[in-house]
Amino acid sequence: MIRSRMATFGVLALLLAACGGNGAATQQKKTELTLYNDKGAWTKFFDEMGALSKQRIGLGMKPTGYTDSAQYQAFIKASFRTDVKPDLFTWQTGGMLEEIVKQRQVAETTAVWQEAIKAGDLSPDLMPYYTIGGKQYCVPMNVAYWGMFYNKKIFDEHGLRPPATWEDLVKAAATLKKAGVTPFYHTSVLFSFVWFEQLMAGMDPDLYDRLATGKAKYTDPGVVQVMEKWKELIDAGYFMNPGDKTDPGDVMKTGKAAMVSFGTWFNTSMTQRDLKAGSDYGFFVIPNVNPALPKTSVIFESGPLCSLAKAADPEASAKYLKWWTTAEAQEKWATTRGDVSANPKVTIADEALGQITKDAGSGRYRLVNRYFEATPPPILTAALDGFGTFVTEPGTYKEVLETIQKEADEYWSTHQ
Amino acid sequence: MTRAPMLGRFRYGYVAPAALLVAVLLYAPFLWTAYLSLTRYDGLSEPEWTGLANFAHLLDDPALLTSTRNTLLWVAGTMLLPVGLGLLVAVLSYDLRGGGWYRVPFMLPYALSGAGLAMVWSPVLSHDGVANTLLGVDTAFLQEAPVNTLAMLLVWTWQQLGVNTLLFVVGLQSIPKEPIEAARLDGASGWRLFRHVIWPLMRPLTAVVVGLALVASLKTFDIVWVMTQGGPGRNSETLAVTMYKETFVASDYGYGSAVAVLLTVVTGLASYLYLRRQVR
Repeated sequence: MIRSRMATFGVLALLLAACGGNGAATQQKKTELTLYNDKGAWTKFFDEMGALSKQRIGLGMKPTGYTDSAQYQAFIKASFRTDVKPDLFTWQTGGMLEEIVKQRQVAETTAVWQEAIKAGDLSPDLMPYYTIGGKQYCVPMNVAYWGMFYNKKIFDEHGLRPPATWEDLVKAAATLKKAGVTPFYHTSVLFSFVWFEQLMAGMDPDLYDRLATGKAKYTDPGVVQVMEKWKELIDAGYFMNPGDKTDPGDVMKTGKAAMVSFGTWFNTSMTQRDLKAGSDYGFFVIPNVNPALPKTSVIFESGPLCSLAKAADPEASAKYLKWWTTAEAQEKWATTRGDVSANPKVTIADEALGQITKDAGSGRYRLVNRYFEATPPPILTAALDGFGTFVTEPGTYKEVLETIQKEADEYWSTHQ
Repeated sequence: MTRAPMLGRFRYGYVAPAALLVAVLLYAPFLWTAYLSLTRYDGLSEPEWTGLANFAHLLDDPALLTSTRNTLLWVAGTMLLPVGLGLLVAVLSYDLRGGGWYRVPFMLPYALSGAGLAMVWSPVLSHDGVANTLLGVDTAFLQEAPVNTLAMLLVWTWQQLGVNTLLFVVGLQSIPKEPIEAARLDGASGWRLFRHVIWPLMRPLTAVVVGLALVASLKTFDIVWVMTQGGPGRNSETLAVTMYKETFVASDYGYGSAVAVLLTVVTGLASYLYLRRQVR
């Protein structure tokens, strides 16, 4: 009996030893870092950055790109509890960053920010998006201004020009609709919030900010008016079917819809499809619905590149983040993708994108934080589902707002 | 009978590796999920004990009502279409000369995975897809409830019909010929022969086919996730999709776990009640 039990314990001990692995992790010196991201379509561009960094600072970088953001976020969160940790990873500013910083998972980057601002590589305007409890975390992986991409050939064909006022935009939509062209792209999945934030920002940006901080309700008259305006546009037949799963890049290329509202990063999709700015497509800032507002509202987002507090080689990760902010790295990162950059020294090749970056920097616009970052995650989840329902059944807008507000009430009751 | 001495001494040792694997990979995750269902947990901070609060929330969550309704639709639809039609195809074809060739086309879609199946059918059922063009209609197959669930059920039928047919054919071929011949001599044929002789003889196999289909339909996930992600809004969610969305999209691991426990209990209970009735 005793021998039998000893044999059992022996087997268990061997198995546990095999499962346990290297318990006391020793710090390594890395020459190549892993960069986990939810931008699977950008792998080629990350690879190019990895080759450049290896050449310049002796640190290579290998990207692992996810295409499903829910899976990606679950992996990153799980990695905090395991030994499979990314050296670098992309995330979101706002509530999502705050959440993981509060868990002490993210490496502080205050020193990187101070040096970069001193060297003119980062603008202090960006700092608030990366500041939690007076300290900075992560660096900008990208920045983006939101506006309208339009199919230039379709516009030329119908004698249209980028609109200067909201009325002009609606007139352009009416002209296109009359000619049998669908004016605007629309979706019920993930980016279902785009027109909500755009109309909110163009009608009442103060209300939008109050909504983001729980000081206003989704059922307030101002928000209801926004939904009614959105419904009006849907009812007029200005949007393509929200269930259409055509990639928005292809929607632009094929002219399935004449206009697609996205961040400047959408230019990468244009680059990938060999479309030329100025001849194939153009970009304009969407005019405010309310002309009385002092400044045109422009949706702004900045996506962070982070490293973990418990990274395998914290020094190497910090070194990489520091290099990422430099003009040399940003020049490459922006030009290969045809995008704007967080580094003010970088020259933007695309004329329209260069102009919006310059105008935004000079204070011409009121920058409004993108809904995705501005809204706390539980409310965001309910809102994305709600807007998905609304774009399919526009008559449900009041119920949708009530459902989102129910989630908001629950959240703000414990987070004010 | 005497026990082999070596086996007696080391019997726990032999069983231990397999038992450990089962414990670590099956029991432990289940117990952990059951524990999480009694907590508030965002996947980052420590789980906070909330007792039965998540289960109470199940009762007043309109999204759960929708996903329960859709799941029941999947169960009923699966019994009617892949299983019912499978039986019909099997009965009509098994006696035919060259019946095997007739059944081959039904089998081919079974080679596709659930995700692959959904990827292939999504564009077909989209707004400007082949289905609308061929039928000359303008139906939002994947958008309006319950049309979207019914459309996905048809896709599911397209894939599952073949394997159910095959199982029923095997059942038909394995039943003894004598009682059928005797019944025929007594003048039974057609529906009466099937209803009173063939159907009772096939009962053990039908129990397996229906049991498997019951479990598969209760945990429907991949086809819905790929084709509609449970939307628009939440109108095509099944219990399994709600479980995934609450856990990994909304990061509400506690509530997601409560849905997982509910789904486990429903599946276990349905299987138990069904099999207890069938295997008597």
